[in-house]
Amino acid sequence: MAEKLPRPTDAELEILTVLWSRGPTTVREVHACVCARKPTQYTTVLKMLQIMAEKGLVRRDEKQRAHIYRAAQPREWTQRQLAGDLLRRAFDGSARSLLVGALSARKASKEELSELHRLLEEYEKGTR
Amino acid sequence: MSLLEIWVRTPAATALGWTLAHSLWEGALVALLLAAALGALRSARARYAAACVAMLALLGGFCVMFQHVSAEQRMQGAGPGLLQPAPADLGDGPMVSKVPARWRAADYLPWLAPFWMAGVLFFQLRGVASCMVARRLGRRGVCAAAGFWQERLDTFAARLRVSRPVALLESCLAEVPVVIGYVRPVILMPVGLLTGLPAAQVESILLHELAHIRRHDYLVNLLQIVVESLVFYHPAVWWISGVIRAERENCCDDVVVATQGDRLAYAAALTALEENRGVARQAVLAATGGSLVKRVRRLLVQPEGPRATLTPVFSAAILTITVTAAMAAWQTSAPPRPPAPPVPPAAIAPAAPPAPVPARLLAQAQQAAAPAPEVTPYTKWVSEDVAYIITDAERAAFKALQSNEEREHFIEQFWLRRDPTPGTVENEFKEEHYRRIAYANEHYASGIPGWKTDRGRIYITYGPPDQKESHPTPVPSEQWLYQLIAGVGTNVVIEFVDPDRTGEYRMTADPLQFALLRAPGDWPATNAATPKAGATVQPMIPGGILISVPLSDYGNHKVTVYGRVVGKERNVQVFLDSIQGPAPLYTKVVQIPAGSYRMEIVVKDTTTLTLTGDSIEFEVK
Repeated sequence: MAEKLPRPTDAELEILTVLWSRGPTTVREVHACVCARKPTQYTTVLKMLQIMAEKGLVRRDEKQRAHIYRAAQPREWTQRQLAGDLLRRAFDGSARSLLVGALSARKASKEELSELHRLLEEYEKGTR
Repeated sequence: MSLLEIWVRTPAATALGWTLAHSLWEGALVALLLAAALGALRSARARYAAACVAMLALLGGFCVMFQHVSAEQRMQGAGPGLLQPAPADLGDGPMVSKVPARWRAADYLPWLAPFWMAGVLFFQLRGVASCMVARRLGRRGVCAAAGFWQERLDTFAARLRVSRPVALLESCLAEVPVVIGYVRPVILMPVGLLTGLPAAQVESILLHELAHIRRHDYLVNLLQIVVESLVFYHPAVWWISGVIRAERENCCDDVVVATQGDRLAYAAALTALEENRGVARQAVLAATGGSLVKRVRRLLVQPEGPRATLTPVFSAAILTITVTAAMAAWQTSAPPRPPAPPVPPAAIAPAAPPAPVPARLLAQAQQAAAPAPEVTPYTKWVSEDVAYIITDAERAAFKALQSNEEREHFIEQFWLRRDPTPGTVENEFKEEHYRRIAYANEHYASGIPGWKTDRGRIYITYGPPDQKESHPTPVPSEQWLYQLIAGVGTNVVIEFVDPDRTGEYRMTADPLQFALLRAPGDWPATNAATPKAGATVQPMIPGGILISVPLSDYGNHKVTVYGRVVGKERNVQVFLDSIQGPAPLYTKVVQIPAGSYRMEIVVKDTTTLTLTGDSIEFEVK
């Protein structure tokens, strides 16, 4: 069922990000978060959430009195959904040399992770 | 096709062809020198600086050579007008067979130019595409991080002296934390990471990213990409670029460890971050050697020795081959003048005395990084962070401390003593102080950092002025009015001028006032010959004194009164007033607790510039 979900638009993606970041959230909170970056009407956010609920991108919790929404899919879903997207491909490709950050764009292998753990353990033993 | 052929025959194309050929040995030489420097350098900052110097040398060498060869071309172009002088002009019998060989090589060289241009175009376009992708990544699928984290980030930014505002966003597309943008930098955190990792680990990641911003890494990285695109054909440039990238991360790691002080926690944070991201599917990539493993090893185990890589060896090979080829070409073409005379001398001259060059490069690199071992966060704290607000006694006490624990404790107590609301977590004084430093750095930096300028010093010491006037002409100047500076006086006007229009405004206050504002401890020495001013001190009822000085002798001159009341340990109050005559008397009321004091006063006639002064001991009961 989830496979047939439509690809979210940019505006929808932003709201999904808020929901992934904050967990199940009231419309007011989503609105406050969106407003932190660009001024938006409360009703616009509400309308968008309703549309997204129809599309199946978000679920609405009916039990509470306030309107509480949560993302219908985990974050990883979108990553897969957008796998064919130019942005994603480029992020793995040419942009990696441009971005500076704590980790390289390349993922570590299993062997490297176990090597990292070995180093940490050794250091801990050494200092005690 | 013919169009291309015509273009290839222009002097520019020929010059470019020769420049490209020369850059082969230049690049190889630079890489070798860098490899030698890296073998000797330990600190990440020094290694980073050395690699950056190498990168600039590569670019500089390219430009200088191009200019040089173009100049040669122009001189020759004045002659026959074609590429080279006819090969037969000196054609001795035995040379005839060899000359065409050389001639052909020189003839084909310009054909490198179009290929090079196509390559540059490709890499430049790729760079532009990366920029656009990065911009989009910073805007799409992002939301503002929780206010708590933005506040933490702002605190850290003030601590690291990042003057630009930094936005913290969560992104559902970024897989790792990244910094995007230079003018308005943004830190992107993968969504869920802020809540998924322990707070201390998130903090160290934020510090790492802030270190990138403070070091202008995004900008340097952009320039790096530009150089890469120009010299893309040379393996040396890619190797140097890799060194810069690796050492950049090491530098940021060092900043985090210096700020937080816990290597293990930071290494654990990096590992957790890497794990959080999931394991790579293809193991093939791991064969290139994990950079994170190297970094964690560097953090925990002491620095690895110089690593042998193949690139310097490769560079050495290129160097040998090109020099040999150049020599061979020169020898075979000795009789006819070589079309680009710099080949042999230029190729041999730098290569022949290799010893002094690395020494100089090393010295340069070490010089660039010289403060690294000496400037600890503690010496920096006392000589920069609190330079204007620490008292002499505190400074002496701090210098006497032996261990870092003691210093940490001292710093904590230092701020605690100044906290206006000691019961609360916030220390408004400290926050305001770092805000002023950040403000000064942002607004008053010229050739020197903002906090070191006169305006910066006054701003940090006394805060924003109550009124400010700016006059761009005839000489750029600013007047700052402080209605009250505790311990200095009321309606204090400080003037700054920038006569050379360098952006560095200097304070114009006369020397006495300057000394007074600069360090209330420096009182100008009046000697025994200074006439008495005739000042008196009278006790007032609730813990105060009335100071009065007769001014009737000064007529309608304007006088400036400098005064201070000194207790056993420090200045209790310093005051400064200007009075326009005629005036019978100067009076000043000073509220002070019981104790014994000395009142010193100097009266200056601004017309005749004569000084009078008094020093009176008194007690308040």
